[in-house]
Amino acid sequence: MTIETAADHKMKSVLIIGIQGALAKITAELLIKNNPKIKIHGVDSREIDQMPNRSQLTYQQLKYTRTNFEKIFREHQLDTILHLGRLGHSPTTGNINKRIDINLVGTNTILELAQKFHCKKVVILSTHHVYGAHSDNSMFLKEDAPLRGSFKYAELRDVVEMDQMCTNWMWKNQNTIDTVVLRPCNIIGPQIKNAITQFLKTPYAPLPLDYNPMFQFVHEFDMANIIVESAQQLSTGIYNVAGDDVISLHEAAQIIDVKKIKVPIVLVEQLAKILTPLWQFPHYLIDYLKYPATLDNSELKKNLGPDIFRFNAKEALELLKSH
Amino acid sequence: MFTKFEAIEQVLEQRYGKNRDPWGLEPSRAVADLKVIWPFYHYYFDVRVHGKEHVQDKPYMVVSNHTGQVPIDGMLICTAFATEIESPRILRPLVDRFLTSLPFLGRWSSEGGAVLGDRHNCLNLLKRGESVLVFPEGVKGIAKSTKDHYKLQPFTRGFLRMALASNAEILPLAVVGAEEFFPYVLHIKKLARLLKVPALPLSANLIPLPSPIDIYIGEPYSLPKSLSLEALDEELEPHLIQIEQKIQQLTEFGLKNRRTFLQRLKT
Repeated sequence: MTIETAADHKMKSVLIIGIQGALAKITAELLIKNNPKIKIHGVDSREIDQMPNRSQLTYQQLKYTRTNFEKIFREHQLDTILHLGRLGHSPTTGNINKRIDINLVGTNTILELAQKFHCKKVVILSTHHVYGAHSDNSMFLKEDAPLRGSFKYAELRDVVEMDQMCTNWMWKNQNTIDTVVLRPCNIIGPQIKNAITQFLKTPYAPLPLDYNPMFQFVHEFDMANIIVESAQQLSTGIYNVAGDDVISLHEAAQIIDVKKIKVPIVLVEQLAKILTPLWQFPHYLIDYLKYPATLDNSELKKNLGPDIFRFNAKEALELLKSH
Repeated sequence: MFTKFEAIEQVLEQRYGKNRDPWGLEPSRAVADLKVIWPFYHYYFDVRVHGKEHVQDKPYMVVSNHTGQVPIDGMLICTAFATEIESPRILRPLVDRFLTSLPFLGRWSSEGGAVLGDRHNCLNLLKRGESVLVFPEGVKGIAKSTKDHYKLQPFTRGFLRMALASNAEILPLAVVGAEEFFPYVLHIKKLARLLKVPALPLSANLIPLPSPIDIYIGEPYSLPKSLSLEALDEELEPHLIQIEQKIQQLTEFGLKNRRTFLQRLKT
């Protein structure tokens, strides 16, 4: 069987997993803009609403079971899978069993079916959280850095295991299917509702006084664009996604210009628990407010060019502030 | 003093700009720290720098002995390179992870220029044209009991490999006078291990004594170009010994010519 090279992969029928997410919606819009003849089918285990009204886009809510996915693969003759459906870290999705089920079992099923139904390309959205925030992290972690995300917090186990499962699968099947694993830095934007965006936008959220780690931010539009470009251009591999500029946590909070309470880190963890309804920041991500987990972007830039990012970190933060 | 710092501030701003670098260095903060450290550097420790002429306007790997129980020697070396060298720079000391993990102190040190001592960090800094400060003796060097004062501890080889990979020149340096900050020290290694700290010196004095400090900068040392990146440890050994010997010689020279407390009081 011959396969297309990564560089000439033309998407005709795309499955987006996790379509209810803001990033998935932006990605779908970009795909349609780039190729009006494309067919996109979006799925999500969550209730789906506020979907863009496009003739090219169909969607459905479903349980992530093998039977349900098999039906979709049979009906849609998919050539590309964009797996953007990793569950985040907000306390509402904090049920560890549900997360393991979706992130590990669900992903495994999707990968198996992608191969069974001869898909050409799979793009998986992982996260920089797999590296973990540690006091002995090098600045600019490369893709081959050890994944130490779950060393301290078992809650991040599924995130690391999903990444490892995908990369193992990727190398094992590299001769039959192109798989790209993206490990982005903090994705921010007006439509994104992840932990770091919520943290930056929440007034009077506790900001550690005694730590000021360096952060990288990627704007939601740039991230969506990189997902599309990855599906079209990147060959099998793992790619960190981050811009060139690095900014400290305190500087980021200053740009967003939302009043914060500066307290020592020992109080931040306690306040995170007390303020949970108002400030949804999981305790197991507190280390990211202490130590850096910044990424080396040379592999991505080598393959997608140096001008892949439209917004730098400051601009992305300014855009978040203005919304 | 303020005129001196205005000039230094301008030079450092030209070199580093106003923004933080990826390792967290905040140039304005570093200069503000220098202004606080300077009176201690100049009046309390009465630091003298010898061999300034060996420092050119290019990146170096500064390799120093490590003495004095607490890393004040590193702070004084950094102050010397920012205030007394013709081409002032913020030296980037490569520090132990213990320091980067500490609240307040970790943040303060990285904003002042300190960087986690790690191979990638070191190479990236040298590539960017920064000068780094390394203490190849590690904690063993700084945490010595009184009987071992000024005894150079065995060097680790990591810094040589990084100098080899970056083609950076090595600048041997010796600090003399820092062991007298805490003249009577006892190390309880078991207690340090129990408390999970790198060292636990028990000293007769809590505040470092105003021992006069001499910083000796040696001639730059270049590794031969013929040495491959994957050179065997045995091939590196002669260079390691030469650098150790150079620092030992500078230390011995410094000890012969050091000022006593009494001489300092007279001046």
